[in-house]
Amino acid sequence: MTAAKITQVVVDEVKGYHNFVKFLIFLVGAAALASAIRFIFGLGVTTNLNDTFPWGLWISFDVVTAVPLAAGAFTLGAIVHCFHIKKLEPLVRPAIVTGFLGYSLVCVGLLLDLGQPQRGWHTMVYWNPHSPMFEVSMCIMAYTTVLFLEFLSPVCEKFGYHVPLRLLRTIEMPLVVLAASISTLHQSSLGTFFLIAVDKLHPLWYNPLLPLLFWVSAMCAGMSIITVEATMSHKYMGQPDEGELLETLAKILPCVLSFYLALRLFSLFALSEGALWDRPGLTALFVLEIVALVVPVLMLAQKKVRENGRQRATAAWLVIFGVVVNRFNVSMFGMEAPGTSYYPSFLESVVTIGIIAAHILFFVLIAKYFPIFEHHPETVDYSLPDHFHKTDNNHGHVGNEA
Amino acid sequence: MSSENKDFGKNKAFLIDMTKCTGCRGCQVACKQWNQLDAEKTKFFTGEGYQNPPLMSEYTFTRIKFRDYEKNGQNEFAFYKEMCMHCNEPACASVCPVGAFVKTKEGPVTYDAKRCIGCRFCMVACPFGVPKYEWSKAFPLVRKCTGCYSRVKEGKKPACATTCVSAITYGPREEMIKEAEKRIAARPEKYLKKLYGAEEAGGTSVIYLTALPFDELGFKHVTKRPLPSYTWQALRLVPGIFLTVGSSLSLLSWFTHRKERIAKEEEMRKSGSAPKEG
Repeated sequence: MTAAKITQVVVDEVKGYHNFVKFLIFLVGAAALASAIRFIFGLGVTTNLNDTFPWGLWISFDVVTAVPLAAGAFTLGAIVHCFHIKKLEPLVRPAIVTGFLGYSLVCVGLLLDLGQPQRGWHTMVYWNPHSPMFEVSMCIMAYTTVLFLEFLSPVCEKFGYHVPLRLLRTIEMPLVVLAASISTLHQSSLGTFFLIAVDKLHPLWYNPLLPLLFWVSAMCAGMSIITVEATMSHKYMGQPDEGELLETLAKILPCVLSFYLALRLFSLFALSEGALWDRPGLTALFVLEIVALVVPVLMLAQKKVRENGRQRATAAWLVIFGVVVNRFNVSMFGMEAPGTSYYPSFLESVVTIGIIAAHILFFVLIAKYFPIFEHHPETVDYSLPDHFHKTDNNHGHVGNEA
Repeated sequence: MSSENKDFGKNKAFLIDMTKCTGCRGCQVACKQWNQLDAEKTKFFTGEGYQNPPLMSEYTFTRIKFRDYEKNGQNEFAFYKEMCMHCNEPACASVCPVGAFVKTKEGPVTYDAKRCIGCRFCMVACPFGVPKYEWSKAFPLVRKCTGCYSRVKEGKKPACATTCVSAITYGPREEMIKEAEKRIAARPEKYLKKLYGAEEAGGTSVIYLTALPFDELGFKHVTKRPLPSYTWQALRLVPGIFLTVGSSLSLLSWFTHRKERIAKEEEMRKSGSAPKEG
């Protein structure tokens, strides 16, 4: 095929997309343009950041919020493979794709926000183990690699590469364990970031358990994202209905969530120092955050909500909302000194919206072209097409023995 | 993070007696000259009172903050020289992912622009709001007071301390604290009976004497505990948590998969077709 022909095929393919997908492409394009402006004219012009608010939307959303939203991969991986709740396995792949996309976009967001993105590799050379940022960046690089390896499975299946597929199955368990350990570290270390902000972060959010709280709430967010994603891709993309599996997940979620809430209130009333209720605006945000997490616990405690796809998804949305509000409270609103405020500039918002759009866009496209939802491990044939391997009677379970 | 020295008493420190400051801003000028910092276009009364420039910035590493107040029916000025505090255990040095900040054995906290990746964590972490960013540039770096390390290394005093005729004394930290206490004891009616910087953030290399309460002059309220200890109490657990989570999940998987594995081996033995290695 000539280049022109290939272009023609691509153009025809894109023309066939749903208008929503085209809209997403437009948003991603706008964000790419806005990022170009950042690199030409600088952070000062593009953003509303200044010496008082050195971290804005790009850190608050693209990093501090996006990382827990991508936590589904490690949470589900551990639930399915380590706790051996095998029936949830069909949900693992979409979670891994979400995680991989999420982390790749976190890297994109970080590179935009760094003053010297071309020196990003410095963290690997000049170690400072006292810095939570050092720890998080090492973890994010390692974990993106792990997710990439996990993501290779559907890619190899698509193209019928059986040898690498077998290899990937062999290292599946080590990868799952590694993913959970690395995630535990950096999800919590994102909370450690703000432990240095003594006297800056409001006591409603500042307490020594912040890292633990970040880790537990990240797992809640991860499970909720999986629920929402599976529900929506069934509804809008004609993917198989995983309702029964989500019901099981909906039983685990409220348990973890109530543990989080208990821990949250304990740390607030027992470990926080300073006046808690001195700023009405922050109090309102705090109440919003807690209510958005208490309501889904109450909802999911009922069997009829868990069995109802719509209500279950609503509860999951609420959890996501609650965790997002929490991360913004910690990294943005709670950090604002009284009488000062930061709001993102137009271009900052365009970039962040574009990053969210890119996530949805790539997810839709990957689900369209790769076997993400169709994956039912028991049905996949992992046998080598030649005589290299003669014990084909137990294929498909190689990973389980690792 | 630097741990070159633990005995901070021998570090060089500034003793800044604000009651002796006349607000001439010679220190600001000397700082700009030595560090070759660009001028800022400013107007009077854009900040608080007569202070100018209104804030520290990428071009201004130190500035005199003016405060009007009334004493015995007369209008009076009080001043505060804002600059890097050169903490004994600097928050900036502890959070920097590439270790661009170093607490030198002489006292000043230095910044290595060649390492910096521009993440601005130092700005978030610094309790005194000292590191500033080159917002105007496409690929910005951080700027802050260097404590005139290049001069101090050669046995000279920092530029601001050299220029100042009255208020700044420079010398070993323990001697500066002794001198400050001596001045308070000699003129108790003149001074606030506290030193700013003796214990703030675990102790700094800039010690202030004032007449007015610190918060009235614009000094920030800062914890007495060294800031790096707040994050380290969580970060020190990292290797342990990694190993604990990793090993417990591996163990758990081994047990949960055991049943399946035994069943499979059983099945293989029955069918008799299994190779020896399984």
